[in-house]
Amino acid sequence: MSEDLLRITGLSTRFFTDEGQVNAVSDLDATVERGEVFGIVGESGSGKSVTALSIMDLVESPGEITAGSIEYRNADLAADVREDHPEAVDGEFVDLLGVTSSVRRSLRGTAFSMIFQDPESSFNPTLTIGEQIAEAVEVQRRASATPRLSRGVEYSFASLMASTVLGSKKFVTAESRERAIELLELVGIPDPVKRAEEYPHEYSGGMLQRAMIAQALAGEPDVLVADEPTTALDVTIQAQILDLLADLQEETGMTILLITHNLGVIARMCDRVGVMYAGEIVERGTLADVFDDHVHPYTEGLLGSVPDLERVGDRLRPIPGNVPSLLDDEMDDRCYFADRCPKAMDACLDHPPSYDARGEEHAARCVLAEMDYDESRALPEGYFGEGERPAADREAEPHGAEIEPDGAGGTRERGENE
Amino acid sequence: MISDRVKRNLTRTFRESMLPKLGLVLLVVIVVMAMFAPILATHDPTRTGYFHEEGGPYPPPGFEYTTTVASDGEIGDVEVTSTSEHLLGTNTVGQDVYSRFLYGARVSLLVSLFGVSLALLMGVPFGLVAGYYGGRIDDGLMRLADVMLAFPALVLALALIGVFGSQPIQVPDPIVLAGVADGMPESIPIPGSVTVVVALVTWVWFARVARGEALSIRNEEYVKAAKSFGTADWRILLKHVLPNSLTPIIVLATIQMAIIILIEASLAYLGFTGTTLSWGYEIETGQDVLRTRPWVAMVPGIGIVLAVISVNLLGDWFRDALDPNIEGSERGA
Amino acid sequence: MSMLKFLLRRTLQGVFVIWGVVTVLFGLRAVSPGDPASLMLGQGATQELVERVREVEGLNEPIYVQYADYLGSLVRGDLGYSWRSEREVEMMVLERVPATIELAVAATVIALLIAVPLGVVSATRRGTASDYGATLFSLLGISTPNFWLGLMLILVLGVWYGIPYPSLSGSGSVPIGVGFVDLPTGRRAVGFGEALMAIVQEGSFGEMGLWLKHITLPAITLGTYFTALITRLTRSGMIDEFGKPYVTATQSKGLPGVLVRYKHVLRNTMIPIITVLGLQMGTLMGGAVITETVFNWPGLGLRLIDALGVRDWPLMQGIILFIAIMFVTINIVVDALYTYLDPQVSVE
Repeated sequence: MSEDLLRITGLSTRFFTDEGQVNAVSDLDATVERGEVFGIVGESGSGKSVTALSIMDLVESPGEITAGSIEYRNADLAADVREDHPEAVDGEFVDLLGVTSSVRRSLRGTAFSMIFQDPESSFNPTLTIGEQIAEAVEVQRRASATPRLSRGVEYSFASLMASTVLGSKKFVTAESRERAIELLELVGIPDPVKRAEEYPHEYSGGMLQRAMIAQALAGEPDVLVADEPTTALDVTIQAQILDLLADLQEETGMTILLITHNLGVIARMCDRVGVMYAGEIVERGTLADVFDDHVHPYTEGLLGSVPDLERVGDRLRPIPGNVPSLLDDEMDDRCYFADRCPKAMDACLDHPPSYDARGEEHAARCVLAEMDYDESRALPEGYFGEGERPAADREAEPHGAEIEPDGAGGTRERGENE
Repeated sequence: MISDRVKRNLTRTFRESMLPKLGLVLLVVIVVMAMFAPILATHDPTRTGYFHEEGGPYPPPGFEYTTTVASDGEIGDVEVTSTSEHLLGTNTVGQDVYSRFLYGARVSLLVSLFGVSLALLMGVPFGLVAGYYGGRIDDGLMRLADVMLAFPALVLALALIGVFGSQPIQVPDPIVLAGVADGMPESIPIPGSVTVVVALVTWVWFARVARGEALSIRNEEYVKAAKSFGTADWRILLKHVLPNSLTPIIVLATIQMAIIILIEASLAYLGFTGTTLSWGYEIETGQDVLRTRPWVAMVPGIGIVLAVISVNLLGDWFRDALDPNIEGSERGA
Repeated sequence: MSMLKFLLRRTLQGVFVIWGVVTVLFGLRAVSPGDPASLMLGQGATQELVERVREVEGLNEPIYVQYADYLGSLVRGDLGYSWRSEREVEMMVLERVPATIELAVAATVIALLIAVPLGVVSATRRGTASDYGATLFSLLGISTPNFWLGLMLILVLGVWYGIPYPSLSGSGSVPIGVGFVDLPTGRRAVGFGEALMAIVQEGSFGEMGLWLKHITLPAITLGTYFTALITRLTRSGMIDEFGKPYVTATQSKGLPGVLVRYKHVLRNTMIPIITVLGLQMGTLMGGAVITETVFNWPGLGLRLIDALGVRDWPLMQGIILFIAIMFVTINIVVDALYTYLDPQVSVE
């Protein structure tokens, strides 16, 4: 745990939908160190996946990154772009939001790669697994052979047209296919030569997730973004996939950004954690900070809602209330958790900045980091209006999950369904 | 049935896009034209002989032409200009193009409306029963559908007309009978057998869609529940299966309506409908004089295009709002 | 092996469908008014002669015997004789097939060449002027009757802009298309095959030029509806496809945009469209009937209209049967292609 690899500062991602502006990610700060597993945990609709897509530069219209910086340490990249974007370069760090989209595209697969929640829908159903992994290998192969600034243009529409008649013009080469088979073997797929020729529907869910990990490893990325990698899988398979990720991380030393709603996964895998709520990281710190020494009542609630085998008989305590609406019009400028917070005070009516909680690493966006709970300043019952202060039996209307803008082709917040 | 959600979607889609509004306006205009044709028309559409004094038909504005005439033993060119008497000119036999345009809308809309209704009445019950019961009826329907689809709609329509002939039905015109429109024909010929024929070539699409719906609805919990109470099958079909399969059927009906307008026009163009008061037939008469009297073929064609566009726009609106994901947009022309 | 089995099964189904078509055609002829013998002989035939023809043609037999006879002769490949021209129907159909196929293929090629790029542009640049333009074009295209479109093309290009078009040589009542077709024999001056042979054997491109000149407008007329339809399908299909999670996953690999758009998204969009095209072949044939009439294009459609006008049942039956066989065959090919292209569909 030595040097910072990613420094995210003030990241805001908005969706401009017909219903209004959706603040999927707001003013998000986080640093990720080289070689660690950084977890992001939160309920559905808290903006976890949009954060991942923002890092990957895969936020699609009507979504847009509106503010902030994502600084990535890469000395080569810094040298490459210093001339064109001096303002984006800070030592070895490059602000990814300050470079062109083609530079950002050149980082996909090679610097950052991603695995998705639902492996079955994340592969193209009409191409073989081997072909699809080989594509990722090919991206890396070509990237290392081409100067960064001209990447992506070397395979044009004309090349694609030519490839329909000329085998030599095909994007994927035989070497890449062989490497794809090696990768399949690496992630523990038996009989990889045969399986490479098979289509996604011929794979089981667990095998597909392994194949997706193989695909993500193809470019030997610095950061692997794993968005709910186990959610869609059976419990027994989940453990296997997590073991695989842990093993691979140990072998390659890559950094993993693990996004999940499952605290068990966090506890098992992560070095440091950020807890997300309503598009913000409300508490972050080491695993111990967050699990044992947490400040934010939301973190407390989240931990309380985990069924714990060691405390048999304890009732599961769901956090009362609903995930808040992320529609800009419906977001008051206050602590977004105040309406569900058992310790809400008058001070919570101002939007709290991020406070250092108990040491430099540990921060929380909660007034309780600075002061103790004062019952005399508590907000009266029903302060946020009837129905806002939740009753446990109220029908949960997944407001926050409605990031999905209507119409096909829009970006939808994926991987947030539990 | 039409649920609140469906209504909301319909209004939302309607508000968001220009196209459904345009479609609705167009359709209203055409329906008004068709309904009140006797009042809106300036001349009896069947009366011939409205010719320029030099013998040629009147052109509409912008289509003036010169004609060579011999008068008093001298040969000279005479400019034939448009007249406010005939807004869109007259055709080769001297009929008023504007009035025939209005009456053409009647034939087009009536044939498509009755044709679709008949196809619905034939296809939907058959499809629902086949899908609901499955088994032999279902197999039979699907095989029959395969056979029907192997005929191009227009070709089958032509063959059927070969059998039925093309008998127009004289329909009395209520507006003229009410005495509001003097000098208009008291009845208009509607191509009756053509209406039956277009229904015969399109019903199978309705049967297929209704069958698919019934097939999935019969496995719904509420149908199973109704069955367990001992509800009679026909009641289940009527109370559960039919209302829940309406959405895709409505969308298909709009698509087929556009197709039927085109089939009717094609049949009339080929001269197989037995009536002359039709946009398609009008185009056929204009074809021979395309070089010299282009408006005769142009005007009715614009009518067909506008009518079909309006129905298609409504169909797109329904489909976007209801998203039933159906096939069946074969057309005959 | 399994593909062979699949083809075999589909062919059997196809034979069944064709049997259905034959039965429908026989039924139509049986219930159609008018005595076949009189129709055959034309007006003015003596009662005696009519009776003899009824006897010879087996028209006095019970209906099921006639049906069996009809099926029997079809199985032997005998389509009978035209009632009017007394030529073999088989010949009359086959000699008109190339012209219709040329027209249909040309229309399909034009449609694909225009529609797929247009649909792609429309889907990838949503909300731009080109998208609105493509949408408007496709709306007009599916709403315009092709016979009117054909006439308007002749009017605008030929008459108003003076672009030479052979069909306009006549005046008044002379059928459009004259000059290319030898009216007494009904034959075209040149077919695609002959034009190709002329290039290969004599190096002469004149014939091909003539052929192109004549087929262009009819092909555009017939192809416009399909262009519009495929544009719509491509646009909405691609937009749907772009919304699927695998596209984001594919982008996350860093794949060049060209490959994401075409190798992945467009390819997956076109697979189901192929099936739609197969089903639309019926529409294409129906459209060909009209287009051939407008342009006096000597294909099957024109002959069908002629046969209908004189109630020449054997000829009508022969032509419709041929069209149905073509439709069924094309759809078997399309189905096979579909199972080949979409690995999720098993041939079993």
